[in-house]
Amino acid sequence: MKKLSLLFSLLFLLVGCSSEKTEQASAQPSSEGKTQKGKTEVVFWHAMEGDLGKVLNEIVHDFNASQSTIEVKPVFQGTYEEALTKFNAVAGTKDAPTIMQTFEVGTKYMIDSGKIEPVQTFIDQDHYDVSQWEKNIVNYYTVNGTIYSMPFNSSTPVLIYNKDAFKKAGLDPEKPPMTYSELKEAARKLTKNGNYGFSILNYGWFFEQMLAVQGGLYVNEENGRKGEATKAVFNSEEGLRVFKLIQDMYKEGMFYNVGQNWDDMRAAFQSGKIAMYLDSSAGVRTIVDSAPFEVGVSYLPIPDGVERQGVIIGGASLWMIKDADEAQKKAAWEFMKYLTTPEVQAKWHVKTGYFAINPAAYDLPLVKEQWKKYPQLKVTVNQLKETKATPATQGALISVFPQSRQRVVSAMESLYQGVDPKEALDRAVAETNRELEMARKR
Amino acid sequence: MFRSVKQNFEGMLYIFPSFLLFAIFVFYPMVRTGYLSVHMTDFQGNPTNFVGLEHFRYLLEDVNFQQSVKATLLFVLYTVPPTIIIALSLALLANEKVKGIQLFRTLFSSTLGMSVAASSVIWMFMYNPAIGVINRIITALGGEERQWLLNPDTALIAVAVATVWMNIGFAFLILLGGLQNIDSSLYENAKIAGVSYMYQLRRITIPLLSPTLFFVTTVSLIHAFQTFGQIDILTKGGPMNATTVIVYSIYREAFINYNFGFASAQAVVLFFIVLLVTIVQFAVVERKVHYQ
Repeated sequence: MKKLSLLFSLLFLLVGCSSEKTEQASAQPSSEGKTQKGKTEVVFWHAMEGDLGKVLNEIVHDFNASQSTIEVKPVFQGTYEEALTKFNAVAGTKDAPTIMQTFEVGTKYMIDSGKIEPVQTFIDQDHYDVSQWEKNIVNYYTVNGTIYSMPFNSSTPVLIYNKDAFKKAGLDPEKPPMTYSELKEAARKLTKNGNYGFSILNYGWFFEQMLAVQGGLYVNEENGRKGEATKAVFNSEEGLRVFKLIQDMYKEGMFYNVGQNWDDMRAAFQSGKIAMYLDSSAGVRTIVDSAPFEVGVSYLPIPDGVERQGVIIGGASLWMIKDADEAQKKAAWEFMKYLTTPEVQAKWHVKTGYFAINPAAYDLPLVKEQWKKYPQLKVTVNQLKETKATPATQGALISVFPQSRQRVVSAMESLYQGVDPKEALDRAVAETNRELEMARKR
Repeated sequence: MFRSVKQNFEGMLYIFPSFLLFAIFVFYPMVRTGYLSVHMTDFQGNPTNFVGLEHFRYLLEDVNFQQSVKATLLFVLYTVPPTIIIALSLALLANEKVKGIQLFRTLFSSTLGMSVAASSVIWMFMYNPAIGVINRIITALGGEERQWLLNPDTALIAVAVATVWMNIGFAFLILLGGLQNIDSSLYENAKIAGVSYMYQLRRITIPLLSPTLFFVTTVSLIHAFQTFGQIDILTKGGPMNATTVIVYSIYREAFINYNFGFASAQAVVLFFIVLLVTIVQFAVVERKVHYQ
């Protein structure tokens, strides 16, 4: 008996010691959401780190200085996933923020959570003209005719390549590969001396994009836009082409596996280890500035003989939280409107590489001037402008996106181990189906 | 009669504060986990509908979960025995009475002072295929560059090596304490009898150290089953779930996928695995332990 009790106390001690993630409740609004100076306080949770965070803080600072009734407090909450987890923990309590930045695949999740107020409410109240926003971007965040969240930082995938390496390999640096066969040919020439031609991060987003650019759907019911999606369909011919491309290139030794970490991938590019890779347009400005060679930016490559459909909007949008009091919500709406003005959007675009929500920004002198200096930024905008509005490029709408992405990542990783592309895809689809089924049961 | 009731009451009073803490931080979460494991939950972890043992049934046939059980057992195997053996050797060395031994004792136990996060980041840089020191050394010696954390064959071992390094400090310190508790007159007797070092180790040191060894083994085992930090930082459970140990799988289900019910079911399974291992430990291994 004594031994048994010792056993249990030991167990409990250890279980009790295992650390739990502590939530940081920082920058909470004082009671009634007012600051001491009588300003209405708006707490803004975001996931912009590094250079992006600096620019965002500048913009918030400008807003606070531009008027005297509202004080916006930006609080960095980690990656999109981490921020969402924290939001999940405090949603519905007074610790919840007023504005929450959530990544595109969290859209369905936020709608289903019931903790948010569609921005459409304020658009209607204010008779705000949304036609000034970029149509392709608004498309993504419109569900059943309602704009749920305010598009803010939108990005798309691009092919980034090392122009110097192109020259050395005898390739024309102004003619980046546009199709899979051109990509392979270029990569073959660029692979030498322990350096590799091409790489894709093991991240579901890139797969989704390479699927959409061919017009392939991710889930049924027109990507979940027409009704509740019940089955994943990305093991189609289109999906298989992507997986085959990765495996073929890897087997031939011209594809480098960079893992799952964005920083590792960018470091590999900057050190010359890889000559071409896929990145988000939001990384363009930083890469161009920090790479010790000339950087080219181009469209996402497509399989030969397939018509280019365009890209899905990535990035994030801003959500209004339902439980905040009226004054705070109004103040938050004012801030959101400020963010979409052409001037702010111009600054945001040229300093980060994110798109301007308000295309009027592209006509401002600031953008024109910067485009001369960074012609790469323009490529990203054109790629979006040429996108056709179809269910494929609108992006899938499912609440189990995080799970599904994990399955796709595992499938991508298994390609390097020689697993058959069809088999890998089928498994990821079966597992996504199971997640969809579980989600329906709740 | 009255006296004993009063005494009992007094005893309970003393135990109450710690009981309260246990109740809040251990008993309640445990019961709650069991409760959630038979329910579906919404995104915030509130139970929505009762599903009985469905989560467990799915766990049995889920290849990913089988993979994570396998990864967990392998991880325990890769970390616990090496930690104990290395820590014991270091403790035996540091138990010698030579000049400046304090310095070595401090060095050997120093990993105890490092947080898991900080050590993991250091190892992450060492393993980095492009700039890491490990690959540099290997290529300098004429070997081939490897992606330690990106290859499913090496990832778990790589994380295990880092973990052994992190855990040595704790095991070393406890074992050294145990060694110093051994009555020195026994060694004097052994010296007079003129026995060899190995004989002395086998017949005096190990038996008298066995309670401490037993403690360290039990704690290390449980610790290994609960490893999370280094996996989250080094591999995020990848590649191909090769390093998704059960605790990481629980974390991913609950805090990334918001499947609290399914995660709780895994936690219950883990609890029983750890319980079973600990019972076996006490039933089989403890018999060999020599209490003074």
